[in-house]
Amino acid sequence: MRLSDRITGGFLVILGSGTAYAGSLLPPVPGQQVGPNVFPLVCGSLVAICGLLIALRVGAHFEEEAEADFSAHGGVIESELPQSRLYKLRVLIPPALLLFYVLVVERLGFIPTAAIIAFAVAVTLGARLKLAIPVALLAPIGVHLIFFKLLRVPLPDGLLPMPW
Amino acid sequence: MAVYLEAFRMVLAPDVIIAILLSSIYGLVVGSLPGLSATMATALLVPVTFYLSPIAAIATIISASAMAIFSGDIPGALLRIPGTPASAAYTDEAYAMTRKGQAELALGAGLWFSALGGIAGTLSLIVLAPPLAEIALSFSTFEYFWLALLGLMCATLVARSSPVKAIASMLLGLMVTCVGMENPGGIPRFTFGNTDLLGGIEVIPALVGVFAVSEVMRAMLSPEPPKMPKRKYNSIMAGQWMLTKKYWRQMTRGNFIGIIIGVLPGAGADMAAWVSYAMSKRFSKEPEKFGTGHPEGLVEAGASNNASLASGWVPALLFGVPGDTITAIAIGVLYMKGLNPGPTLFTEKASSMYALYIVFIVANIIMIPLGIIMIRVASTVLRAPRSAILPVIVLCCAVGSFATGNSLFAVLTVAAFGILGYVMEANGYPVAAMVLGIVMGTMVEQSFVTSLIKSDGSILPFFERPVSSVLAALTIGALAWPVLFWLWRTFQQKPASAKA
Repeated sequence: MRLSDRITGGFLVILGSGTAYAGSLLPPVPGQQVGPNVFPLVCGSLVAICGLLIALRVGAHFEEEAEADFSAHGGVIESELPQSRLYKLRVLIPPALLLFYVLVVERLGFIPTAAIIAFAVAVTLGARLKLAIPVALLAPIGVHLIFFKLLRVPLPDGLLPMPW
Repeated sequence: MAVYLEAFRMVLAPDVIIAILLSSIYGLVVGSLPGLSATMATALLVPVTFYLSPIAAIATIISASAMAIFSGDIPGALLRIPGTPASAAYTDEAYAMTRKGQAELALGAGLWFSALGGIAGTLSLIVLAPPLAEIALSFSTFEYFWLALLGLMCATLVARSSPVKAIASMLLGLMVTCVGMENPGGIPRFTFGNTDLLGGIEVIPALVGVFAVSEVMRAMLSPEPPKMPKRKYNSIMAGQWMLTKKYWRQMTRGNFIGIIIGVLPGAGADMAAWVSYAMSKRFSKEPEKFGTGHPEGLVEAGASNNASLASGWVPALLFGVPGDTITAIAIGVLYMKGLNPGPTLFTEKASSMYALYIVFIVANIIMIPLGIIMIRVASTVLRAPRSAILPVIVLCCAVGSFATGNSLFAVLTVAAFGILGYVMEANGYPVAAMVLGIVMGTMVEQSFVTSLIKSDGSILPFFERPVSSVLAALTIGALAWPVLFWLWRTFQQKPASAKA
């Protein structure tokens, strides 16, 4: 997900000026000149300025130095690994699974949803079934015990209520 | 005296002792797993602290973070992969020592000097806090505004990235706090008609997203780290007394640098380790030995990163300005437990403060036996494959964030901030700066707008009070520093290239 500075900088300009404009429309505290409008106005404008500077690549050499330092100390910079575009979409699996959790946990219940998520993460990371199935069975039960039983977080029962 | 006894009674309560022990083990294990940082370990603990007593909650944060910073050295020395960013500075050195057959000495030095550094940091906290609290009592909103801004600027200064991107990240964090009703006018701001957004974007789900989910996302693309080789160890602490006698100067210097960097708002343990390692090399009598398995730099940097951890609590406790990302999380816990940061904490809740000091010292002492056990079992524990650990982390992210308010919206926040954190990190935007922005946004806005109302919209009073003018000068200096540095460098290079 390496984007050029022009793209991220341009995005910040749009975001910043949008925030500043929307902020300026808010009413001040009655009887005062200032209120909830000032802070978004200031922050938004500054973000827009930063975005402009980034798009013009001001200060980029600091970053190159830090990167050189990082790889000299044995770190791997992500873009160096050979990967296809489709493969890179794997990155979106964890947030997608969290979204899945939000959508189905009320209906399915915590244990089945968590088992599906744990299984999916384990398999994507290259686990064999011999490992992925025990992880999918045990991890949800362990988490449920700690959070539901010990810490009393109201996790939904759904289809599979636990005996405790 | 009664206050001290009360503090001891608080720490010796069974729930606190159990909390310290369990969170220490947790910190040791998570810190030693490559890719799982000390900050992530702390962020995932926060939902658990909701259900603990105030002292137990603070104790879990203190002991887990201290242990995690130490145990990051273990995979560094054995695999040349730092377990936490704070160990990255001297990973090469420790690994070179292991290859020379001195693994015990390298790991032992990490442990021994971490524990001593942690105690030195705690002493600095004990000594520095009361006089600073005295000064802080006279602060008005103008000073708080500059102090918060100075903290944010320091965070951008120390980021190992482009300063412009760091400032942009910090401002993005401030913008995140604009959402919701908690603003000077009490009107819904940037909520887009969504009732879940009325309360604002919660700090803890955002933190968990940025530090834990984005880490799991990165793991999806990176190869599995190599397995820890099985090995037997001789005595781990054997050579440490000799090292202490030989390098006590380096150790003390490391402690001091660590304390200073820790107190500076925004700069944390990883920065302390980098600076101390570089300094050790600069002042060493035998700089040519660095990088070949020479313990000198290891002693200084190891003493430094743990010292910074404790002194990072100084600005956090006194002003609510975090010293690093871990104390940024800790501030959230302090507020939640009714120990609101501020100078009055030392008068009204004195026994809690002393209890906090005791927890720090206890955590650093039990670090030695627990650390020795961890080193000995590390090759077994760390053989657990990533594909068995990360599913648990994902589940903890979901359940932990849900637990903060029993709302599924928090889980969405975690996912969104996971993506945001991942994209920012991949493009050189330091996420730590954004996190500090999110933690401090409300305080910055409140002190800014209240000051503006007091001054009737004029900017001048921001510079008129003596303390606030000093803080303002420091803040502006922090902003101008990268520009000056860049100009100086350009002028130095120009004559050089002209000669060539």
